[in-house]
Amino acid sequence: MRVLVVCSHPCPESYNAAVCTAVVESLKSSGHEVKVLDLYATGFEPAMSADERRGYHDRGSNEAPVAVHLEHLSWCNMLVFVYPTWWFGLPAMLKGWLDRVWVPHVTFEMPTATTPMRPKMQHIEKIAVVTTCGATWFISKMMGEPGRKTILRGIRALCAPRCKTLYLAHYQMDSSTPQSRAAYLAKVKQRVGKF
Amino acid sequence: MRVLVLFAHPVETSFAAALHQGVVRGLKTAGHEVDDCDLYAEGFEPRLSRQERLAYHDLACNRDPVASYVERLEAARGLVIVTPVWNFGHPAILKGFFDRVFLPGVSFKMRDGRVVPNLRFIQKLAVATTYGGSRLRAVLVGDPPRKIACRVLRGLIKPGASVGYHALYDMNRASDDQRTAFLGRVERAMEAF
Repeated sequence: MRVLVVCSHPCPESYNAAVCTAVVESLKSSGHEVKVLDLYATGFEPAMSADERRGYHDRGSNEAPVAVHLEHLSWCNMLVFVYPTWWFGLPAMLKGWLDRVWVPHVTFEMPTATTPMRPKMQHIEKIAVVTTCGATWFISKMMGEPGRKTILRGIRALCAPRCKTLYLAHYQMDSSTPQSRAAYLAKVKQRVGKF
Repeated sequence: MRVLVLFAHPVETSFAAALHQGVVRGLKTAGHEVDDCDLYAEGFEPRLSRQERLAYHDLACNRDPVASYVERLEAARGLVIVTPVWNFGHPAILKGFFDRVFLPGVSFKMRDGRVVPNLRFIQKLAVATTYGGSRLRAVLVGDPPRKIACRVLRGLIKPGASVGYHALYDMNRASDDQRTAFLGRVERAMEAF
């Protein structure tokens, strides 16, 4: 498949960056075509500007500020998000990518008086989230995993009706050990490779 | 009570801006001291930088890049958030406020590897928000922004504090009457905050 990997950690030397490398290697060795979008490295601007918001609903011209990103989206048929979970959600950087790139008319049609919202990213058949959480599994569940739901339910609803999902997380990062981190990297390689 | 209002919409003529004005008016009518933080107007940077991430757990200096925002948060006794919901989450600029200002030593402390809430001085929290999706869709998606407010933020502030969540759903199809009624409802809620 054609896979777009979107990663979002400010430190290239971080564990999260190592997870991203493992994801990419694993996808390539499974024979996928891979494009990597590193939002911090490319200096993506996450705050939707006033002009963009004013033109948000304008068919065609709303694509201009994020045209390159929309090309990536139309090219891929699988999405993998690699990010640290901060405050149970996506880093602002990644949230901003969803805010600015997933514009109407291209990724979905707005609901009208008689029709509901219509998804337009139906060529995307698989979405994976690979993340690290400071919290425990239990606390994450108690909080309702808002970040996971934003992507695997909210964004998934704009993709293929039977879009497959995968969620992998290393919990309790602050008390992680070299062993737990290595085990998670191995698990990521195995699960993403088979996905 | 000193109330910090966080507002997160870029367009001055938007419905969210009208909601923001109503919130501030309502709070002032109630006699609160309002610290009105318009994140877009103040040019807030939502990206947690590499330097910030590296110093994240260093209590001596982690607040330096956002010192003024930390001071404003610590001076507040009430918190009111006015924001649209975009793609079933908060706009990046608001998420960035949590990422960068809700630091160790500010909104929580680490004790023996456990997180201890540290915003206990915030006695009241309210959110006024608008969704493009319907209430049903929000429920099916699991309503991530509501969970951030009613679970994550609630867990940081004073135990048992009142949390008001005021939402207008399906806003692109809402009638003028529905929007006006919502504005009125939120302003009255702020007068009683």
